[in-house]
Amino acid sequence: MMIVSAAGSVLASSGFQVPSIDEFLPPEIMFQGTPFALNRIILIRLIATVVMLLVLGITAMRARLVPGRWQGAVEWIVEFIRDKIVYEVMGEVRGKRYVPMITTIFLSLLVFNICGIVPGMNIAASATIVVPLMWALWTFCQYWIAAVRGKGLKKYLKDELLPDGVPWPIYFILVPMQLLDIVVIRPFSLTIRLFANMIAGHILVALCFSATQFFLIDAENKLLMGFGAITFLGGFIMILFEAFVAAIQAFIFATLSTVYINLSYPEELE
Amino acid sequence: MDLITLAAIAGNVSTIGYGLAAIGPGIGIGIVFGKAIEATARQPELSGRIQVLMWLGFGLIEILALLGFIAYFIFK
Amino acid sequence: MQVLAVDGIKLFLPETYDVVWSAIILVIIAVFFYKFFLPKLQSVFDERTAKIEGGIAKADKAQQDAAEAKKKYEAQLNTARVEASKIRDDARAEASHIIADARSRAETDAAQIATNAQRSIASQQQQALVKLKGEVGTLATALAGKILGAKLEDDAVQSHMLDQMIDGMDSGDKK
Repeated sequence: MMIVSAAGSVLASSGFQVPSIDEFLPPEIMFQGTPFALNRIILIRLIATVVMLLVLGITAMRARLVPGRWQGAVEWIVEFIRDKIVYEVMGEVRGKRYVPMITTIFLSLLVFNICGIVPGMNIAASATIVVPLMWALWTFCQYWIAAVRGKGLKKYLKDELLPDGVPWPIYFILVPMQLLDIVVIRPFSLTIRLFANMIAGHILVALCFSATQFFLIDAENKLLMGFGAITFLGGFIMILFEAFVAAIQAFIFATLSTVYINLSYPEELE
Repeated sequence: MDLITLAAIAGNVSTIGYGLAAIGPGIGIGIVFGKAIEATARQPELSGRIQVLMWLGFGLIEILALLGFIAYFIFK
Repeated sequence: MQVLAVDGIKLFLPETYDVVWSAIILVIIAVFFYKFFLPKLQSVFDERTAKIEGGIAKADKAQQDAAEAKKKYEAQLNTARVEASKIRDDARAEASHIIADARSRAETDAAQIATNAQRSIASQQQQALVKLKGEVGTLATALAGKILGAKLEDDAVQSHMLDQMIDGMDSGDKK
């Protein structure tokens, strides 16, 4: 206990750099002041996009009837999105038109999130509020369009705001709550879930590694090097955890988008 | 800074706020997933429907914890 | 420990350039997936399905063909077997026919030869008899002439006597 607090005091008293949210607001490095200004995160996002499009594009161009190992993996992911996310929720008939959308959402977010643990990038390309917000607004538009087309706007609002089988006094609470849900909470929960996860993940990993750096190299007291080993191990585990979170967040985003869109359609049409 | 000053609480109360905010959703998410697993085990043929409801509930609950998380940044 | 250097709220306020880049990237990725990647993969999937189904159909057809061919060959084999046995029977019948033919011909030949031989023997006997008769006559005449002298030089007497003697010989033979 004494040693831990001693380590803590050393941390607190010296110039230990705690990772801060500054890293999510990096300075503009190109085209400053224009609407096309680039900062570190946007640069990473561009690189990730280009790499993803190139890799998947080449895979698709060279797609053969008998798939190789890499093509098999890509096909497995595409079929996973189609069968396990879209068709599982919507059914095949209704889900067909949303397969490209959900595939776009899932794969782009997966790649962007994975950037957070790629050495040299070290920050997720989706770690600004705008990326999840943009993607969530797409979902938002899609489920309102689907509502107009599927149920009709009136029927949709009635189903969402005034569901059957509820005693009428409840409506006074239910209506504003549901209205808030379909207009604000759904898109913003998608946004904030992804964004907050990316921030938290990055800070955890960065904290572990900057502590390792501090204990192993910067600290004068070499007795504290043991802590460095522990924090290094912690950082390593955190990276694995981040990979898991990256995939699960992409999956949740895609699944919830599908679910929200599906709610705009009449039930049991399949 | 010596050991005595370290014992003093320095920092932001919203950290504690987040800890408190995470309790409820933690329990809630546990219940949602647990019940979903239970329901799927009982009626595997309904697993698609159950999963949809599970994700809906999960989304509603988790947003509470995340609101606590962003409150830390917003009301600093 | 300085944790928050800037206002946390800034995290949630989108920057214009960020919005611009995100929108551009989203549109690019979406167009890529909608227009190129998924249709391309889908065509590969479809082609594969078609190929697999075609393969199964082909295999079925091949099996059917094989079964048909087998049936045909078996039928042919059956006919061939029947034919062979027929040919064998024919051959056997012909062989026995030939043998019988040969035998009958041989028998006929043998009979003919025997008849011929008998006939020739008979004719030779006849010849020998005639010749003998002539020679016996001459000899007897000469002999008788020697015994009887000139008496018998008259032809009429001579032939009368000869006939008498031959008749006597004939009756003597018949006895």
